[in-house]
Amino acid sequence: MQKLPLEGIRVLDFCQMWAGPHATEWLSVMGAEVIKVETNLRIDYMRTVGAPPGLAGTGPNVGSAFASLNWGKKSISINMTTPKGQELAKKLIKICDVVSENFGGGVLDRWGLSYENMKLIKPDIIYYAGSGYGRSGPHKERPAYAEIVDAFTGATFSNGYPGGEPNVIGVSPWTDGAQAIHGAVAMLTALYHHMSTGEGQYIDAAMIEGHANFLGEMVMGYIINSSIGERIGNRDAVMAPHGCYPCKMTGDEDEWVALAVASQQEWELLCRLMGNPDWTNKEEFSDELSRWDNQEELDKYLAGWTRQYDAYELTGILQKAGIAATPSFSTKQLTHDKHLAARGFFKKPNHPVLGNKVLAGLPIRFSDYSEGNYQTPPLLGQHNDYVFGELLGLSREEIHKLTEEKILG
Amino acid sequence: MSRQALSNVKVLEFSDFVSGPYCGKLLSNTGAQVIKVEKPGLGDKARSWGPFPQNLPHTEKSGLFLFLNTNKSGITLNVETAAGLKIFKELLKWADVLIEDHSVKEMKALGLSYPEVKEINPSLVMTSITPFGQTGPFKNYKGNDLISSHAGTEAFGNPDEGVKDPAVSPPLKVPNHAADFMSGLTAAACTLGALVGRGKTGRGQHIDLSRQEAVASITRQQLAYYSVMEENPSREFGRKKFGGFLYPCQDGYVVIWIGPHYHLVVKMMGDPEWSKEEMFANPLLRNNYIVELNQLITAWTMEHTSGEINDLALAHGVPCSLVRSVKDLVGDEQLAFRDFWREIDHAVAGKIKYPGAPFRLSATPAAIEHPAPLLGEHNEMVLCDMLHYSREQLVRMRQGGII
Repeated sequence: MQKLPLEGIRVLDFCQMWAGPHATEWLSVMGAEVIKVETNLRIDYMRTVGAPPGLAGTGPNVGSAFASLNWGKKSISINMTTPKGQELAKKLIKICDVVSENFGGGVLDRWGLSYENMKLIKPDIIYYAGSGYGRSGPHKERPAYAEIVDAFTGATFSNGYPGGEPNVIGVSPWTDGAQAIHGAVAMLTALYHHMSTGEGQYIDAAMIEGHANFLGEMVMGYIINSSIGERIGNRDAVMAPHGCYPCKMTGDEDEWVALAVASQQEWELLCRLMGNPDWTNKEEFSDELSRWDNQEELDKYLAGWTRQYDAYELTGILQKAGIAATPSFSTKQLTHDKHLAARGFFKKPNHPVLGNKVLAGLPIRFSDYSEGNYQTPPLLGQHNDYVFGELLGLSREEIHKLTEEKILG
Repeated sequence: MSRQALSNVKVLEFSDFVSGPYCGKLLSNTGAQVIKVEKPGLGDKARSWGPFPQNLPHTEKSGLFLFLNTNKSGITLNVETAAGLKIFKELLKWADVLIEDHSVKEMKALGLSYPEVKEINPSLVMTSITPFGQTGPFKNYKGNDLISSHAGTEAFGNPDEGVKDPAVSPPLKVPNHAADFMSGLTAAACTLGALVGRGKTGRGQHIDLSRQEAVASITRQQLAYYSVMEENPSREFGRKKFGGFLYPCQDGYVVIWIGPHYHLVVKMMGDPEWSKEEMFANPLLRNNYIVELNQLITAWTMEHTSGEINDLALAHGVPCSLVRSVKDLVGDEQLAFRDFWREIDHAVAGKIKYPGAPFRLSATPAAIEHPAPLLGEHNEMVLCDMLHYSREQLVRMRQGGII
């Protein structure tokens, strides 16, 4: 009986930073054996990011950002610039179903691992190439990060308070997130096709193309009406009130509630909850369109009421009455949220450096599989013995020699 | 047409607006046969959303709906009628996948909770998208794009640089139904995982997709910071230490990503004296003095136009972009070179350009070539041809408000 849907699938993962590793993390948590190819010569930047207090700069295993992006993977360390290192990679490709990379440009080509070459080794390989702008065209060499792509696509332009200036989207890997999961969808689609036909393929995944879909509403606005959109912040095109309002502070940080009133009936419910104060009878707030036109004033009145409650309490009151609401969580508040705790969203990594400080799991919940592969995120080169010994059948002496020669490491 | 990756997958889409339809679109892009179930009358909410040509609302001309529902077939069905529900259950037997976004209570009231659906079709993959998931104390809470953005801490971290006065600037929703799109995308990845697993076992599956978790998952790096670094980030300006920053210039804004590219960035600015100061000597120090560093860079960007800076950055290999509007994206030369856009002719809305596939598969390229269905367009095909109801029954169904 399979414990997870991707059991038996093996991935050789050259991805670094955020979007690439998170894409293959999806496969890993779903049960694929993902072998991350790394090197001590140039470590994945994320291995240094988010270290516990006092441990910044103390080696490649301190990054909580890395741990959070690499659940359940295995790590090997190969010097890929050496012919022997490249030979080892080729042997691994032979026993893998997917190879993934998100280098800027043709790094794998330089190592003799172009898709064409790879097909000679493993004719049905699935090759995932993630990039900012795609692997063809005038921009193909441009360096890309989430914030750069957001500026390029128009996402930054549309992000901000009403009447305000554009802002970088927070949290900044938002677009990496979209790229990662589009990548997972692409690889899973290719795996499904492989399962039906035995055929592999090359995947060219460009952030700007995924994002042109994510921004589909705005893109269609321009195509249909030559509209470039406007910044509306927490507002909605139709509903009012619809926003984020201050609450009473119960801890050491400010608290907010987000709420959305979808109909006249919900508005009347809200008025009743507030005790029908006089201001709710104003002509300006009497119907859907008037409230929308006067929402700035409406928001000020409403904030006077929301301030009397803490965010959880008010969320409960509103939801009980049938009005959509939520505390606007800070990272601290979310980490302690009882609802996510009940659902087991956070996982303990049991990590030699990070200990059992919780990290976010993935939003994957199947009724008939186990909860996912949440094995400890790998230390750099942790699985050299397993991968080269057990999978490739090298002897201890051979592995030792490769390490001495700095082919491994 | 060449064989497509998902051409033997049959999907029943019983969901509204953005998330479920985007999930269905990602499957239909690569060949899945999707039947979309809409309520009689106005149909999917996205039909009423727009953008509409010349701002004239029309059920068949909403840009959001047209975009999200390419390649799908559409029927109207009132599942609150007994006959409608019976037809829905017949379609459940036909389907490999059900995508639905109804509340836990609604599905139960319809007799369509997972155990009941599993009785009808044990090998079905049922993907349920709800604001807070199927379990836990918030499972019956309502939501929308705003709620997901705030419930998942995304809004807390937006804007990325922070705000001047957190007391008056609330956490900020991410624009363009971003949380709804993220929920739909996440649902598609889960659905495909279950389909691959099903290929080996024939086993059906219920997927419990929480919009809150789909969004929170993307903030995993910030969640790790709180948990591991024991830092509780504020929303105040200056909170951001590294990554891409927004810089004002003479005619707009640019975004530049310093990170490991500091030496390229200062070279681009002509190696100013300040760049050699001890306080900027290494990445850790630069993070500590990021506000000072950005002030110095801003003094330089303010002396240039965004175009000048972008050209210099490209020449120096500095990650940079102008803050462009969607107009520039639609007209972009890279997307044109890659033949990204798809023109599709729709019976009512006419010929319109649409975004192409979000990723390219060499052996089984996406074929986005059929327009979104008209409301009820495929009633006859599905009810008469597939399910063998007669034309007379079709008429009675319309008269009775079933379709």
